Amino acid sequence: MNLNRIVLLDNEAVQALRDPAHRKHRSVMGYVLEAAQSAARVVEIGVAVPTTVRVEAGWDRTGPSWAFINRLRIEDIPLGPDLADAAAGIRKRTGASVTDAHLGAAIQTAESDHVTVITSDPGDMRAVAEGKPIQVVAL
Amino acid sequence: MTREEAIDRINELLDSTDPETVNTSMRIPKALREAAALAVDELGVATSTTAIAANALRTLLEATVRLEVLELHFEQYPEARPSLADLAIITAEWNDNPLAQRPECIRRYAEEIVQRHPNAEPEDVLLWADAREYTAEQQRESADQPDQRGAA
Repeated sequence: MNLNRIVLLDNEAVQALRDPAHRKHRSVMGYVLEAAQSAARVVEIGVAVPTTVRVEAGWDRTGPSWAFINRLRIEDIPLGPDLADAAAGIRKRTGASVTDAHLGAAIQTAESDHVTVITSDPGDMRAVAEGKPIQVVAL
Repeated sequence: MTREEAIDRINELLDSTDPETVNTSMRIPKALREAAALAVDELGVATSTTAIAANALRTLLEATVRLEVLELHFEQYPEARPSLADLAIITAEWNDNPLAQRPECIRRYAEEIVQRHPNAEPEDVLLWADAREYTAEQQRESADQPDQRGAA
């Protein structure tokens, strides 16, 4: 995705977005709403989730219990060969989990001008970014 | 067809990889078409005016779907709707506005501005906040400076 900004979600952010009763639901909704409103103004801001985060979160796009979040057109970032290589390197250097390493690979290879990560682990995200400037939103 | 069913169908169609195309007899203003042709020929923004139109339509539909999904969600869960202050804080973060480091300040000014302008946008809050902060700073500087006339 070549966007002005990409907003990446970690597992906690996915759970918060999915569940209206989650204490951080409104907080994550703010970012999704702002991204949608920006897109309507032709400022390209996308929301995306690495597929391993989806696995960790149990987010099955065919599952009816995920209907709301599915409709938001949040893009998958697959763990293809190139990202897998990048993630493997990040995991080796930082000791990150597979999902965090995948997030790190997504951060480091993003073509967007700006990267925002919504996460419950700001320190981990800065570690896997390995110096790439990111904006971390702590849940 | 319910709104949810319409959204799901639009999403299916937007995700379709079907390469089939159709000719349409869409009437658009002549000047708009000429502007698009110039953008293609002279600025190289796309491969064709058709590509411009299709991309613009896709962008608009994707944004419309997302906003409609969120609106449906807010109708069901009104408490999930972010406040003006919430959105202003995000706007400040995304625009590297120094006020992003002072969310409590943005919240205070958001409360102020909706008293006068109930339909204020996040950008309005930040402008109001900047103006209020600037005024307060000027007042502080004036108060700190001794009266030069008395000293002369």
